[in-house]
Amino acid sequence: MCDVCGCQVHSHEHPPHSPLTKGGHRGVKTVDVNQSLLKANEQAAISNKKHFDDLGILAINLISSPGSGKTTLLERTIEVLKDKISMGVLEGDIETDLDAERIRAKGVPAVQLTTGGSCHLDSEQIHRGFHSLERQLKGKKLDVLFIENVGNLVCPSFFDLGEHIRIVLISVPEGHDKPVKYPKAIRTSQLLIISKSDLVQHFDFDINKIKKDALALNPSLKIIVTSAKTGEGMDEWIEFLKSNLR
Amino acid sequence: MHEVSIALGMVDELFRIAKENHAKKITLVRLKIGKMSGIVTDSLKFAFDAIKLEHPLLSGAEILIEEVPLVYECSDCHVSFSAEDIYFPACEACGSRNLKLVSGEEQHIESVEIEV
Repeated sequence: MCDVCGCQVHSHEHPPHSPLTKGGHRGVKTVDVNQSLLKANEQAAISNKKHFDDLGILAINLISSPGSGKTTLLERTIEVLKDKISMGVLEGDIETDLDAERIRAKGVPAVQLTTGGSCHLDSEQIHRGFHSLERQLKGKKLDVLFIENVGNLVCPSFFDLGEHIRIVLISVPEGHDKPVKYPKAIRTSQLLIISKSDLVQHFDFDINKIKKDALALNPSLKIIVTSAKTGEGMDEWIEFLKSNLR
Repeated sequence: MHEVSIALGMVDELFRIAKENHAKKITLVRLKIGKMSGIVTDSLKFAFDAIKLEHPLLSGAEILIEEVPLVYECSDCHVSFSAEDIYFPACEACGSRNLKLVSGEEQHIESVEIEV
């Protein structure tokens, strides 16, 4: 992806233009900058996306609270699609490689990215993680790259990883108020998966309210209600995934 | 706590800006932060103030934050208006909820004052 690892797949974007300087007191200058605070991450995300595009890979970033069912959704997806499409997973966690082990147990290559305390993945970690995954693939082409972010509904929504689709999961036990409490996660995602729908009878969870609030924040959001236990919504999710393949 | 990551990225950018402009010191950093950016400005300041002490170039730098209000444009009647309601505002003129956020998500370094 860049010179950092020497792979030379493609170069970085053009270097930024020098900021203009304005006159002021002698020895003191104001430099106009006018750029994003997250510029370094945004540039690395552009580079990641170009790399995925060049390879024809659909990259998906899954974000949710801890325990919403991201890994379980991936396990069920792998069971259905393993013989039809080629998948790889980057697993983000603060500690342990438990989730990567779960994915590998299903026969799909996975790289664990442990952030050591940081609450989100950034583009540079994806860059390095993807190269590591490529070494496991030994030249085999990938159709879909799943990036399972660190369990957190706040910070991951700030960091573009170069993904094509961002999916936010909210599980029934978390409550239907999550979209209004975490608007950025909803506003920056293309798909909301409401998971663990089999538990709806045990909780005061209003599916119509969560849908209405989420769509008010993001009118173009697609919403799928799923249960890994009963299989509800899995066909719709698999169709969504297939229709977005590159 | 993404504010710590954001502050660390900002410090890298400040070093680049200082180098390009042959700065001896950075004295002031002006930021524009939108009300809906999701950045907690106190946390960002706290993180920056902790990090800056490690770097003589930045140790005297202050952060000045301009908070950018939410401005919506109505997609039906095309009136622009500012709003306090983060979640479900309605158009002031026609009541429509079909609104586009024009500003309020900014997270920018506006300018930097340096000693050369």
